Amino acid sequence: MLKWFEQTEQENSNIVCSKIRLARNLSEYVFPSKLSPEESKEMLARLKEGLRDLGDLDGRDYETAGLDELSELDRRALRERRVLSSSILEKKAPMSILITREEDISLVLNGMDHIRIQVLSSGLHLTEAWKTADRIDDYVNARFAYAFDEKYGYLTSFPTNVGTGLRATAVVHLPSLSMGKKFPAMLNDMGRFGVCIRGVYGEGRENYGALYEISNQKTMGRTEKELTDLVNKVALQLNDQENQIRDMSLKSHRLEREDEIYKSYGVLKYARRLTMKDAMTFLSQLMAGVCDGLIRMEEPCPVFRLMLGIQTANLQKLSERPLDKTELDMARAAYLRSELPELAAV
Amino acid sequence: MLCERCKIREANIQYTEVINGVRTEHNFCAQCAKELDFGQYSAIFDGEFPLAQLLSGLLGGEVPVQKKGRLQQVTCPTCGTTYEEFVNNSCFGCADCYGVFDLLIHDNIRQLQGNDSHKGKRPAYQGTLDELAEKEGGTEEDQGSRPPEEEIRLWERRLKEALRLEEYETAALCRDKIKELKEGKEADA
Repeated sequence: MLKWFEQTEQENSNIVCSKIRLARNLSEYVFPSKLSPEESKEMLARLKEGLRDLGDLDGRDYETAGLDELSELDRRALRERRVLSSSILEKKAPMSILITREEDISLVLNGMDHIRIQVLSSGLHLTEAWKTADRIDDYVNARFAYAFDEKYGYLTSFPTNVGTGLRATAVVHLPSLSMGKKFPAMLNDMGRFGVCIRGVYGEGRENYGALYEISNQKTMGRTEKELTDLVNKVALQLNDQENQIRDMSLKSHRLEREDEIYKSYGVLKYARRLTMKDAMTFLSQLMAGVCDGLIRMEEPCPVFRLMLGIQTANLQKLSERPLDKTELDMARAAYLRSELPELAAV
Repeated sequence: MLCERCKIREANIQYTEVINGVRTEHNFCAQCAKELDFGQYSAIFDGEFPLAQLLSGLLGGEVPVQKKGRLQQVTCPTCGTTYEEFVNNSCFGCADCYGVFDLLIHDNIRQLQGNDSHKGKRPAYQGTLDELAEKEGGTEEDQGSRPPEEEIRLWERRLKEALRLEEYETAALCRDKIKELKEGKEADA
């Protein structure tokens, strides 16, 4: 069964993936931070029982797992695949997850809120993702009463989520736009439109891979549709601007672009050691090349899947033992050698 | 120049907006500027902008101690979260915290969210009044045995529910009952 990020879309878009997350709490229990282990267990048991037939809703298979029983490595791998948020990695209290095999739909129970419904998809499908989340939300609500206030809306652990409890996110690949001098200022300005943008990978102020995550800043005072449309619009706008710059550079510097992309492919395909920064930088160039149709491989090349694949926890899981830094760089290069498709014969 | 929004007061704030290279200039009065959403810059126009507090923080001075001490004592009766705890973690302990800290956090939430009233989806199912009564374990007759605090909370939930369903007569009854219980409690004490 292919995971959501393995389902490739050939639409020449820089929009890599999108996500809807809804935060909900039950009216009967205090929020997770104040819930005793016994109460947590009781609530989890009731939720699991109540949501046993969730799969009937749209014919999907859900698996249930106790998150607190998973190893730290497994949790980190789920974080890398964008299923879990980093904030709950450290949490020790009883937590569970209901998740489809494709990992596109998941419900984290007793994380930062009692229930967090998340719908992921590759490409930009926020409207569909919202509809799916909305349906699941109704299903849960038919069985459990929510903490809701006339004025403040859906009540959440953090005041940053109160109201709709909705966070719409789109990940966009902006290799050319982000090179511009005005880009950091533009990121700051985005707050005025009610969205925030941050780099997905990197250390400190340095960004690896030119992937940027756009999400709605505010959750209250606008409807779910308005929030989703806002993120949608900004993602499309950025995608458009990125394409304009790339078209221009393609017209004036086609040879340089091709050279850069094929060199990146060469390094990724044959290197014996790759640091995270190098691998992400070359994959980013390859991603732009695939998007612009400048490089063709024997099979469609899902670059984003490779970006997820070379993350630390996944590599450690694959090698089934802890790796030191050098071993990690070797494992990363080996992974890319085996996963990267051959070039198509010209 | 008059403010372009209210056209009454003198404009004393010039706001330049550049979107996709198109530059537009606006002139607002302080009052209108305060009402508009300028995202991260909103705080500048907010009358409550705690400049003094910011300065005292920078200079290592204490924020008015008396006020701080009093606010710290506000505690949510349901989950035990104190206001100080909330300020430190920005995390509510339960749904009732919103009501308990309402007066203290109302402005912050509005600043954070740019708005203070929910728009959008509402839960389809919140338990009707009858179901609520059933869950709480009975009807009016056997409620005498409950401690008054719990009784008040129960009636407050009923009041909320009645308001949601726009059953104002029931709501009025609930309100009277709460008042009666609160007075009774004070008389006892």
